[in-house]
Amino acid sequence: MTEQNVQNFARTRVTRETGTSGRRQFLARTGKAGISLAAAGLISYQLYDRYGPTTGVDADSLVTLPDFRVPDKLGQTMSIVKGPDRKATANKAIELLGGIERFVGEGQTVAIKPNVAFASSPMLGATAHPELVAEVVRLCYNAGAKQVIVTDNPINDPASCFTLSGIGKAASQAGAKVVLPKAHLFRHTTLEGGKLIRNWPVFFGPLENVDKLIGISPVKDHARAGASMSMKNWYGLLGGRRNIFHQDINTIIAELPMMVKPTLVILDGTEVMMTNGPTGGSVSDLRRANTLVASTDMVAADSYGCTLLDLTVSDLPYLTKAEKAGAGTTDYESLKPVFGTV
Amino acid sequence: MCSVPGLNKRPRLGARRGGARRSPEGRGHSGVESVISILLLGLLLLIGLGVFIRQFDVDMGRFGIDTTTAGPLLEQTEPNMQEPALDALMPDGFKKFSEIETYDAGNLYEKINGKAPSYTESGFVKLFTQRFISKDDENLWMELFVFDMAAIRNAFSVYSVQKRADAGMLAFAKPQPCYRTSNGLYFIHGKFYVELIGSTESVALDKAMAEIAVKFASQKIVDDDKITEFALFPEKDAVQGSFKLYLANAFGFDAFTDIFTCRYKLGDETITMFLSKHPDPQDAQTTAESYYNFLIENDATDKPTANKTLKDIGAKVLDFYDTTEIIFAIGPFIGGIHEAENQKAAEELAARLLDKLSNTAKTIKND
Repeated sequence: MTEQNVQNFARTRVTRETGTSGRRQFLARTGKAGISLAAAGLISYQLYDRYGPTTGVDADSLVTLPDFRVPDKLGQTMSIVKGPDRKATANKAIELLGGIERFVGEGQTVAIKPNVAFASSPMLGATAHPELVAEVVRLCYNAGAKQVIVTDNPINDPASCFTLSGIGKAASQAGAKVVLPKAHLFRHTTLEGGKLIRNWPVFFGPLENVDKLIGISPVKDHARAGASMSMKNWYGLLGGRRNIFHQDINTIIAELPMMVKPTLVILDGTEVMMTNGPTGGSVSDLRRANTLVASTDMVAADSYGCTLLDLTVSDLPYLTKAEKAGAGTTDYESLKPVFGTV
Repeated sequence: MCSVPGLNKRPRLGARRGGARRSPEGRGHSGVESVISILLLGLLLLIGLGVFIRQFDVDMGRFGIDTTTAGPLLEQTEPNMQEPALDALMPDGFKKFSEIETYDAGNLYEKINGKAPSYTESGFVKLFTQRFISKDDENLWMELFVFDMAAIRNAFSVYSVQKRADAGMLAFAKPQPCYRTSNGLYFIHGKFYVELIGSTESVALDKAMAEIAVKFASQKIVDDDKITEFALFPEKDAVQGSFKLYLANAFGFDAFTDIFTCRYKLGDETITMFLSKHPDPQDAQTTAESYYNFLIENDATDKPTANKTLKDIGAKVLDFYDTTEIIFAIGPFIGGIHEAENQKAAEELAARLLDKLSNTAKTIKND
């Protein structure tokens, strides 16, 4: 072997050794980097809070509203009654669904949640009508209810709302206990699968120990949502700075029937607020439609109700959202509603 | 035994070989790796810095915490202005039924819920409310709403857009414009939009509301601003009190801002005329073209017109779902007709507006 050959051989061997060592180092480094990345990812995943900071309520103290529904009865899910007298149409509508006894049992406690959002005269149609609320209270007692509670968490000063809307007096005179919102009656709830109702205060106290829940709402134009009816009525159960939900009004309204599962809803379209809703302010904002709906499917009730506002289901995206979430059907005709006139 | 030079050579510590640095264990890293590492570390530092800075800017309202009750936010929204003296407005035979309540943009929803954006998106500053009740009849009460809208145009906009169909215009010297319905009275006075809502339909309430309106208008609390666009509309056949002002998104078109409309009665036809003043002729022309394109994109089609005045100016006449839409730009103005059922009447009115605006545009040019 010549000197030149020996040097070439040595150079080649060194290169091979270095190459082998380089591959090993590369593989070792790649392995370590992979392990580091996986570990960092795992730790991040464990630490990641997908809902962000909350008001400090831990998961154990969250509540879920009870399910107040009654079993379905074929052909008795929804009734639509025409007539100018709310008391008469309410009686007929409930009778067509099987009577109040289907919904309220002997000795039961019933909560009625009318829309008492504003401190305005009942004549303006911005709130549920006191005569209708009182009539439903009476019906519940007639069915043997032990106690009827009438409650809401109005946006305005609650006492003024219950007083000036006439609902407080009418409900009391009919024998109901009126419950105004107080801080200790709110608890936090999270709607499973919900986007907005997460760890949010809800007016839980009055509903905690009741057997049945009935919603009563007027049919109203709503500047932000398009319409305010039986689904939007449950917005009144939300606490906190709930106006932030107006930024995603369709989602919050669609989530409400997922959060609240009432026994019955009564949608009052005797006089419909056609313009300047939801507060109105003039009787000229109202149109007499002489229609009242009772239903165990509030999506269906509102899908019919929007026709009283000259709207269609497609005008109110929250209806379809709620239907997709399984809260009810927008195809109210498929429920074969029972019609009546008084 | 011969030694083979180089066979057992090991690289020296720290020696470069093919651009690589060697560690004591013989593992090397290139200059490129060093640069990448520094960049990655720099990136991580930037992310950390970003998170650190962002944590001081949390929207606590997102988590149900009221941020409007105190602190700098309230100071920012506190208007620097004269405020109406509501107590001084008490009508004869009435007494206070509630204390004065005030709301700003942060809590207006507490009073009017879903209607709040209609105001807050129109320049709203503050709301003052108070209730008065009859000394003789507890069923007779009213609530006074005074919306400070910052400017007369904003006040007029919320007034006009909400105006009730059965409004009966009131001929007070001041406030103007002012109308009543069977249970309420509504007017603007400078930058204030005022509503008086009665608990029921009552002559006594009507009288008390009128008294409040006149007293309110006598308070020297506003600049005597005027809305100049009213005078640009032709007077003939105009429906009294039918002016409206859309501050934004008029006719569903985003770029249509500050659009005034007025209704006209021609025979059996009621037709809506519109106009808007722009900063310069080019801006008016561009916006008019955009609106035309918007209509075309939404299935409108061009219509032939025999009206020479409209033809000469290059006005667009379109069929939009069996209604006639006319649009033109002249000088700094956009004008036109919205959703008219009768094309001929629409063209006649558009020509009248065009005539009036062309004279005004000439004056502006000469100035």
